[in-house]
Amino acid sequence: MSATSHSPGAYDAVVIGGGVMGCSTALHLAQGGMRVAVVDRGPLCREASGVNAGTLTLHMTRAALVPYAMRAWQMWMDAEKWLGMGVLATRVPGLTLAFTEAECELVELRAQARRAFGAPIEVITPARAREIEPGVHPSLLKAGYCEIDGFASAYLTGRAFRHALVRAGVDVIENAAVASIDSGDAGHVVRFGDDSGRAPLRAARIVLAGGVWIENMLAWLGVRIPIKVLINQLIVTERIRPVMRTVLSVANGLLSLKQFANGTVLIGGGWQGEGDRERGGLEARPQNLVGNMRLAAYAVPALAEARIARIWLGLEAETADAMPIIGDVPGVPRAYVVGSAHSGYTSGPFMGRIMAQHILGQQPELPLFDPARLLGMPMPGA
Amino acid sequence: MVEAQPGAVDLLVIGAGPAGARAALRAQACGLGVLLVDENPDAGGQVWRPLPPGFARAAGVQPSTEAVQGDALRAELRGAGVRCLFGHKVWNVGRSLRTDLIGPDGVCSWQPRALLVATGTTERVIPFPGWTLPGVIGLAAATVLLKSQNMLPGRRTLVAGSGPLLLAVANGILKAGGEVAAVLDLASRADWLRTLPSLAARPDLLWQGARWQLALRKAGVPLLYRHGIASAEVLGDGFRIRARQVDASGAPIASASSSDFEADALAVGHGLVPGTDVTRLLRVRHRYEASHGGWIADADAEGRTSVAGLYVAGDGAGIAGAAAAGAHGELAAVACAFDLGRLSAQDHARARDRLFAEWRRPARFGRAMAGLMALRDGAVAAIPAATVVCRCEDVTRSEIDAAARDGARDMNQLKAWTRCGMGPCQGRTCGDVAGALLAAHVGGREAAGCFTGRAPLRPVSLAEVAGDYTYADIPIPKAAPL
Amino acid sequence: MYTINSERSSSSMRSLFDGSQDFFLMTPSPSSAAPVLRADQSVRRGPALRFLADGCSVDAFEGESVAAALFAAGRRELRRSPRDGAPRGMFCLMGSCQECLVWVGSRKLPACQVPVTPGLEIETLDFREQRLG
Repeated sequence: MSATSHSPGAYDAVVIGGGVMGCSTALHLAQGGMRVAVVDRGPLCREASGVNAGTLTLHMTRAALVPYAMRAWQMWMDAEKWLGMGVLATRVPGLTLAFTEAECELVELRAQARRAFGAPIEVITPARAREIEPGVHPSLLKAGYCEIDGFASAYLTGRAFRHALVRAGVDVIENAAVASIDSGDAGHVVRFGDDSGRAPLRAARIVLAGGVWIENMLAWLGVRIPIKVLINQLIVTERIRPVMRTVLSVANGLLSLKQFANGTVLIGGGWQGEGDRERGGLEARPQNLVGNMRLAAYAVPALAEARIARIWLGLEAETADAMPIIGDVPGVPRAYVVGSAHSGYTSGPFMGRIMAQHILGQQPELPLFDPARLLGMPMPGA
Repeated sequence: MVEAQPGAVDLLVIGAGPAGARAALRAQACGLGVLLVDENPDAGGQVWRPLPPGFARAAGVQPSTEAVQGDALRAELRGAGVRCLFGHKVWNVGRSLRTDLIGPDGVCSWQPRALLVATGTTERVIPFPGWTLPGVIGLAAATVLLKSQNMLPGRRTLVAGSGPLLLAVANGILKAGGEVAAVLDLASRADWLRTLPSLAARPDLLWQGARWQLALRKAGVPLLYRHGIASAEVLGDGFRIRARQVDASGAPIASASSSDFEADALAVGHGLVPGTDVTRLLRVRHRYEASHGGWIADADAEGRTSVAGLYVAGDGAGIAGAAAAGAHGELAAVACAFDLGRLSAQDHARARDRLFAEWRRPARFGRAMAGLMALRDGAVAAIPAATVVCRCEDVTRSEIDAAARDGARDMNQLKAWTRCGMGPCQGRTCGDVAGALLAAHVGGREAAGCFTGRAPLRPVSLAEVAGDYTYADIPIPKAAPL
Repeated sequence: MYTINSERSSSSMRSLFDGSQDFFLMTPSPSSAAPVLRADQSVRRGPALRFLADGCSVDAFEGESVAAALFAAGRRELRRSPRDGAPRGMFCLMGSCQECLVWVGSRKLPACQVPVTPGLEIETLDFREQRLG
């Protein structure tokens, strides 16, 4: 596909938002022959994509997203091939743990739901679980087991994508905050702040890939779709001796645990801190730090002695029905949106690929998630 | 975690060195409810460290000025009944200024109305091959070893770096019966002479400096100005240290020959860097001020920061020396008392003016010393590619340069791309040097920025924070959707 | 005093130094190799005592920091750096650099901030990791 115009600054597509989804979309568009720019108000993958727990699990992925996550899992494992630089994606089995009767039921239900979508998850006995993961708490009642699991070092993602995008000829425009978009029949004009000194970008197509800020971006186009903001707390320990060798979660969805090759253990689980879309993550909530740490030290008792090196926050996006928003922006020609996949890092590279396939006029490998369904859908609890 | 006790404390002071302790005393005198916190077993900070518990001064020995000042401060704190929590580390501070501590009995939290950060400085060492070897310690570290532990770094120690600690350490070693292989100073004699005017009010220090120089000469210790360390290699149980001539920027002079020294210990320090852990954590506005030691909170002259209720004082707010730190602490205390409505405008103005006058002259001397200790760009530029810069994570200079060339534009991006600053020390040891390296690529310190401050300020274990609990004690929010 | 013996371990950590992972254990030796570093010109130390470091007895004085006491006993290496396996020891002596970490019971603490007390037992990081397998 050739550029629609040879005048300087006119792109076939401008992707706004340089996280995994945006970068993957841009990369695949460029590989499909388009002239592409990626714009981010900060450095690439500096937000959720660079600060998440890096879990590549099917246990905590929404059941309906399992097919997407499985394909993305393979992309992460092969990152060095298509990105040119890896993110230390490591394949290990994943266990989701049950310590109470209620959690046992959840393990069964969740395994069943995911198996229906193709996930190779089986429910196993505590004895079997202990063979796989000797360090788990002795009071374990039941576990879900998946051999396709693993983790990556999220903080390496920005560098890897930057490398790949530059190599693919994509214009990477970092530290440039978009202020508004004018959309019409002739295409789009992406404008930066008046004091930025940057000339506007002209684009035949725009892709909104702004994570929690998709709500603001859609508003630029006059489209109102609420995106909920989760303020996830993350904790990483110092390097410690090997105490676990799988990715662990708890059936209630509130723990993710993994130990990297360098010995550090990353503790997540979606415990909420303070923050908002405007100001970002502000600070952790002490009682939620305690809760998260207690769950971690319970699941793997050897973690109790581990010292915490760092606590930080990451913003995660969620739509009203907790499914992604991927497809055409309702009512705006040649404008697309990709995001809010929840566990978006896990499935991100694949979501970008199918977004690009759609934009390139190809049949996406798996169905998209029509943004129009969210028009007028109330946010639960709002 | 123990619930914060609201209303119990007007002003919580972190750091019981000269600035923090004097601030606590002044605040108490103004009628504020004060809590003074320090990780050490007693007040005094680094410069007035007490003897370890169980040690006593030998009879008939004249205590040093610093010992006298430290003892007096500790006595004054006890006499005034200032509430102190020693042996407690601050591991987190919330935006409400809620301060989370960890001590021998576990964790506790306090919710003050105002917070004064008087946490002083950490030492900067510009890396050279061999700087991470056991037996290489900081200059300030050597001071602690000599004055507090009453121990020599080695039988024969080489002392190197820049600033007033050089001669202090060298003389401390001689007095303690040790040998000094040599003293290497990045500064020139002219640099030192330029500080003379600031010493006008302190003939005692001038006299002390002269005595120290004489003692070195008598002991036959070479004192080499404009010399730095090229490398330190293991030699038997000690080191072979290669010294080389440098220019004013600290850059090695290629044509000059080098000299080798043998020593079994090396004490090296290239200045002090204000500690900004707490202020960075609270997203205070900072500015880079090379003459004050580097990045500091952008505070007014009385220590008010860009966050209401948060004050800074002492060397941590910008190096001005121990003698000025006390007055600075009191300035902040008085400002806080006024801001909390416990001091009239008139009383505040009177105290403030008096304290400024008290602060000015010692600060002039302190700033002159800070100038001698300021980072020298040439010394940073000379760090060899394969030399470790980030000790916690073994990140070398070449990895930092490669990240910058690949497009890392600020310290946080550098951290994400190299792990520099991700280790247990959170970049306290490497941050200033790494910042200088990155700044050279991105057009200056302001452009490179600082590492974003994160909790915990000091490592705490999961067990310490989690406490005793059963599974049922874990507050479980609603389960994740299927 | 004690000499330092090195013992090869089966750990597979990378080392740029001599390709092996050496552990330095304290064993008693007849002659004193370490220099006398304590300077008593102006202080009287607390009572002399012994504490255990990696299962070996170390002479010290009550109240000294563990880091200083080990240093004085000739034990300057406390750990290995994470990636390169390079020897490390105390550095800043003020609890900031995290180089001198040791295990005291279930707590990992900077040895420069741990005072020697009667009955104290500490383990260096590598020693405990070896012990726990």
